[in-house]
Amino acid sequence: MSRVVFFIALRQLWDRKLLNGIAVCGVALGVLTLIGINGIMQGFQQKFLSNILRISPHVTLFDRQLRPQAPILARASEGFVVTDVHHESPADRILRISRPAEIVEALEAMDEVVAASKLLVGSAVISRGSQQYPVEVRGIEPARQDRVTPIASYLLQGNYRTLEASPDAIVLGSGVASRLGAKVGDVIVCGSSLGQRLNLKIVGIFEAAIPPVDNTRVYVTLRNAQALLGRPDTVGRIELKLREPDAAQVVTARLEEMFGYDGESWQETNANFLALFKQQNSIIDFVVGAILAVGGFGVLAIQIMIVLQKTRDIAILRSVGFHRRDILSCFLLQGAVISLLGAFVGDVSGHYLIQALGKLKTKQEGLVKSETFLVFDDPRFYWYGFGFALVVGLLASLIPAVRGSRVEPVDVLRGQLG
Amino acid sequence: MSDESSFAPATEGARTPWPEPGKVVLETRGLVRDLGSEAVKTRILHGIDLTIREGEFLSLTGFSGSGKSTLLYLLGALDRPTSGEVSIDGVEIGALDDDDRATLRGEKLGFVFQFHFLLPEFTVLENVMLPMKRRGARAQTAIESRAREVVESLGLGELAGRRPNQLSGGQQQRVSIARAVANDPRIVLADEPTGNLDSRNGLIVMDVFERLAREQRITIVMVTHERSFASRTSRQLVMKDGRIVEDLDQR
Ligand SMILES: Nc1ncnc2c1ncn2[C@@H]1O[C@H](COP(=O)(O)OP(=O)(O)O)[C@@H](O)[C@H]1O
Ligand SMILES: [Mg+2]
Repeated sequence: MSRVVFFIALRQLWDRKLLNGIAVCGVALGVLTLIGINGIMQGFQQKFLSNILRISPHVTLFDRQLRPQAPILARASEGFVVTDVHHESPADRILRISRPAEIVEALEAMDEVVAASKLLVGSAVISRGSQQYPVEVRGIEPARQDRVTPIASYLLQGNYRTLEASPDAIVLGSGVASRLGAKVGDVIVCGSSLGQRLNLKIVGIFEAAIPPVDNTRVYVTLRNAQALLGRPDTVGRIELKLREPDAAQVVTARLEEMFGYDGESWQETNANFLALFKQQNSIIDFVVGAILAVGGFGVLAIQIMIVLQKTRDIAILRSVGFHRRDILSCFLLQGAVISLLGAFVGDVSGHYLIQALGKLKTKQEGLVKSETFLVFDDPRFYWYGFGFALVVGLLASLIPAVRGSRVEPVDVLRGQLG
Repeated sequence: MSDESSFAPATEGARTPWPEPGKVVLETRGLVRDLGSEAVKTRILHGIDLTIREGEFLSLTGFSGSGKSTLLYLLGALDRPTSGEVSIDGVEIGALDDDDRATLRGEKLGFVFQFHFLLPEFTVLENVMLPMKRRGARAQTAIESRAREVVESLGLGELAGRRPNQLSGGQQQRVSIARAVANDPRIVLADEPTGNLDSRNGLIVMDVFERLAREQRITIVMVTHERSFASRTSRQLVMKDGRIVEDLDQR
């Protein structure tokens, strides 16, 4: 492309500052929206996921057996007897993981696994004075569990080690504590329908910043949980931390195969949230795409108008030696400059928007607890904005440019002069 | 306008005999042009045979609608004939594609129209430089000095930095002549260049053309309605109903 085409394109753009400025604003608005909405959405999602990944194990093995134990008869006369297992009543099977210590040992020997721990989880009621509050009791091996889900790191008050050291200790979620009006050092009574009532001393209060967890969960030692829930010597699940959280689904499938227990990856555990995020993201993609398209239509409308106004000038240029291609590239260039400027303005203002939003103080308490507006400043969005703006701008100016390049000078001259 | 009065009209030009024309630069054979829709086709040109030589200053007169503009567009490689052939400097333009014809227009032809077609976003000097820049035959600095030279020779020196909308009609028409001439064309085609000007500005434009033809031996074909201007050219063509009915050599 010859330099003079560049010169003409830029001069014509500059001479219609208002119109082209509007086109630039349209594109910029699309890019700004892309960065803004994605920043907010990703801010929330990333925060939620990182909180979830802190509090929830990468993989959980449950006490649900995938393969029912073959009846005695079948075991004795291998392969010959067809057994037809009718539905078992819940009492028929004792829900527990058998030989959990061996399984944990085997798991920790695996390369993919960082740590594993045994748990027993059940429902109980905590009473303090006249108040009662239902909770989810998690019986854990405190030191091991901390390596799987770092509870100590989100302890607000108290001392996590005491949970292991003291025989009657309990750690409460912050929501549980505030509902009971309890603080570290208080003694509460904890009991369930099947087990013993225990007097436990609060040694710590944690906050995972996920209200549904903070409002319901309490930690006790595995032994206390077994007594509390009336299931002595039972391990209900094994939780794992993996080297690669993203590989959780693959690893889970392998563990199910190896041990015969039902496994669940963190993605499965949080499948409803992940599905929600996915849906949110596609809605956002749609909205952002629509806004970018509207920006593109702005460019299209303005460029078509300019090309129509410029037929006389196109005729002059063509008659003094400019080729069709020169006219085409002149208008495409204008579209490219508009979209580049739009992308730049959008990126810069998007950056400031994200920064300003990130400083905004808003208390949120829903799925994620936060003091500030959650935003995620991902450089990728700036590139996306840039790329989409360029594509949209070029596509939008393609029609006017082709139209302009098809102008026949003689048609214009005849129209003008008769 | 002061700058227009400073431009001395070459009144004695009409009396000076025209020099002998050079070799053939423009030739048409059996040029036919039909216009209109498929259903209603009208024959505008009925087989024009014309030979134009270097340094000739032709005037083309005739009633409105006689086909003068149509012929001029064909001579200028802006339009394609229904049949017949146009050759410019020995090149048959029927054989050229769109790009080649555009290049040929840039290199060999200059156009001046009744409505001075200038690009409004560019200054006088820039308007004159654009075709030269596209052609790229001269270096950037040479383009600018050439444009200045031509603009000054047409008495527009002080207006070089102005935009077209700050100029009078006569000044604008001289700028479009400057643009047509600056790129060293072999032929300048002008369609009623004085049609939109008052008589004084018309005279100035006429003087410019005459000087170009005499001094630089640029071939000029000028459509005009003014008898007095036509009589000042070296050769008069008269058209009627798509035919050349008179061809008068005035040397
Ligand atoms: N697009 C067109 N379709 C049909 N007829 C046309 C068209 N353009 C011009 N004409 C006719 O062609 C004839 C010659 O036009 P033109 O060459 O402009 O004449 P002139 O320049 O001598 O006034 C006129 O009768 C005009 O009506
Ligand atoms: Mg005409």
